[in-house]
Amino acid sequence: MAQSLQYFSSSSDSEFHDENSEDLSHSELDVLPNYLTHDPQTWKSIQLSFNNFTVFPEELGTFVNLVNIDLSNNGLTYISDSLLNLSALQNFTARNNLLDGLPKDFGTMRTLETVNFSGNKFKEFPMQLTELENLKTLHFGANQITYLPNAIGNMRSLEILYLGGNSLTEVPATVGSLNHLTALVLCDNQLNSIPPTFVNLRKLQSLSLHNNKIATLPPEIVSLNLVELSLRNNPLVARFVQDLFFKPPSLLELSGRVIKIERVPYSEKDLPSRLICYLNSAQQCVNPMCKGVFFDSKVEQVKFVDFCGKYRLPLLQYLCSPVCSYKPAYAESDTDSEHSAKSKLKKVLLG
Amino acid sequence: MSEEIMYNQQVCEEQTKYSENSDSDISDKLFNEEMDIEEHDVNCGNEECILNGRCNTNDLPAPSTLSDLIDGLHKIFAHQKINVDFVRNYMSMYKSNHRDWKKFAKFDQHRYTRNLVDEGNGRFNLMILCWNEAQGSSIHSHANSHCFLKVIDGAVEEELFQWPTDSESEHAMTPVQIGTVKRNEVKYMCDELGLHRVSNPSHTDKAVTLHLYSPPFNECTIFDERTGHQQKAQTTFWSKFGKRTPFGKTGGQCTIIEAENN
Repeated sequence: MAQSLQYFSSSSDSEFHDENSEDLSHSELDVLPNYLTHDPQTWKSIQLSFNNFTVFPEELGTFVNLVNIDLSNNGLTYISDSLLNLSALQNFTARNNLLDGLPKDFGTMRTLETVNFSGNKFKEFPMQLTELENLKTLHFGANQITYLPNAIGNMRSLEILYLGGNSLTEVPATVGSLNHLTALVLCDNQLNSIPPTFVNLRKLQSLSLHNNKIATLPPEIVSLNLVELSLRNNPLVARFVQDLFFKPPSLLELSGRVIKIERVPYSEKDLPSRLICYLNSAQQCVNPMCKGVFFDSKVEQVKFVDFCGKYRLPLLQYLCSPVCSYKPAYAESDTDSEHSAKSKLKKVLLG
Repeated sequence: MSEEIMYNQQVCEEQTKYSENSDSDISDKLFNEEMDIEEHDVNCGNEECILNGRCNTNDLPAPSTLSDLIDGLHKIFAHQKINVDFVRNYMSMYKSNHRDWKKFAKFDQHRYTRNLVDEGNGRFNLMILCWNEAQGSSIHSHANSHCFLKVIDGAVEEELFQWPTDSESEHAMTPVQIGTVKRNEVKYMCDELGLHRVSNPSHTDKAVTLHLYSPPFNECTIFDERTGHQQKAQTTFWSKFGKRTPFGKTGGQCTIIEAENN
C-alpha cells in the first residue's frame, strides 16, 4: 500500500546501495572519478555528499538514467543547465550548500518526486518549483525566504512540505489547495496566523507551528484530523479576551443587514454595482442560533476550544454584535473564565 | 523488582553540567588503573565479585560495536548494584557506527519513533529513537527510572524543567537549562533531576539517539508547557528488534491516553 511505504523510510542509505548505485560520500572529490564517467548510462543512484563539489559537475548531465542524486554538504554555489538532461531524475537532494538560485528551466523536470534544498542561501522561493506538478516531497527548511508565492498552490501532488527555519510572516491561502498534504512544517518562522483555508487539508496528519508569533488560530482548524500538532513558543492568548471595542454599525451596514436577513430581493437593475458588491460581501455570524449577518461591524472574540481531547486552542471568531453569544456545537467546554480554567479540563497539552 | 539498584547520587547532580566529554581520558581512567575494591567494587554487591576481590565489570573491554555494548550492559546490569557514572562512561566509549544500528533507524514523517533494540533480561530497555528534522518530544518525566541518552547521529537539544508546584493555579513552565547533546555524548536523567524535553533542532539533518531505561517502564507523565498541567501517557514502540509494531488506531483519531513516544 502506498501509504505504508511512507512509514518505512529508514536512513536514506538504501537508495545508494542497490545495483547501479555508487556511494562516494566523504571522499574529498571535486571531480567525478573516471570509472564513473566512463559508462555514464549505467548509473541510477549516486551519493556525493560531503565532498568538494562547489559547482554541479558537468559530466553528471550525461548520466541520463540517474534516478537519485545526493549532493548535500558540498559548498555547492551553482547548478548548471546540464542537470536538466537528467530526464529520469526522481530524487534530488542538495542540503547544506550555498545555493541561492536554480536553473531557469528547472520546472521542466517533471519526473521529480523529492527535492531537498534545506540549509542553503535562498532569499526567494524559486518559482520554478511551483511548476513541478508531480513533486511529492519538498524540503526547503533553513533558508532565508520571507515570502511564499501564491503559485505554491499549483503543486498539487505535494504530500510533505517542509518550510521550517525561514522568515515567513504569513502563508498564502493557496496552501489550502494542497489537498494531498499529510505533513506540513512551518516551525521557526515569524507567522502571525495561519489561513482558514487550511481546513481544506483533509489529509493533513501533522502540523508543526512551534516557535512562531501566533496569537490565535482560525476556528476551522478543529475540524482537521491531526495526529500531531506543535504549538509551543507562540504568544497564544492564554485567557479569554473580551473585545473592548465595538464600532456601532453605520446606516449602510444596518440597511445591508436588514436586506440580507429579511431576504429583500434585489438585482443589478435596482442598485449601483458597488452596493451589489457590498451586499455580496455579507458574512454570517458564527452563532448558529443567530441568523444575523455583518459587513464591517463585527466583534472579535476569542473562544477556547478543546481539540481532540488534547489541545485547548484559542480561536478567533467574529460575531455580529457583543450581545450575541452562544455555545459552539464543536466545543466541549464553555467560554473560558477564571473559574472554569481551574475546574475544567486538566488534559491540556501543547507539545 | 526484588533487587535494588543503587546509584551514586552525587554523580547524578554532576550530570546537569554540560561539560565537554573527553573520551580518551575516560578510557584511560577506566581500564588502565586497578579499581580499588574498597572504593568502587564492593558496591556491586555481587558475591562472586566480592570473593574475587574485584568486580568483573572492570574487565569489560571498550565496546567496538553495538553488539559489544549490549553484551557489556547485560553483564553490568546482572549485578545488584550499579554505578551511574560507570554506565555513562561505558556507553560513551561506544563510537557510533551507522552499520550497527541501521536496521533500527526507522523514521516517520509525523513524529519521532521509538525502536526497541534489547530487553536487557528485564533489567533495562535499550531503544533507538529517530528524530526527523524539527521533531521533538513533550516535556516528560521518567517513572522513577534511570535514563541514559546517547546521541548516535546528528545532535539533539535538551531543555530541562522543574516539576510544577502542587498549587492549583496555572503556571507556565520555563526551561531552567537548555543544552545540545552531540554525537557520542551520553546524558543521564531521572525524576530527581526534574523533567525534560528532547528535540532535534536541525532543519537539515536527522538525529538518532540510543536510550537505556532501568527499570523498564511503559507509562510516564507529560506536561503542558503553557499551564503545567499533567497527563499520563503510554510509551509505545514503533518497531521491536527491527520489525514494525503498530499501536492501536493509526491515523486520524487521538486518544485521551495518548500514545506518546518518549
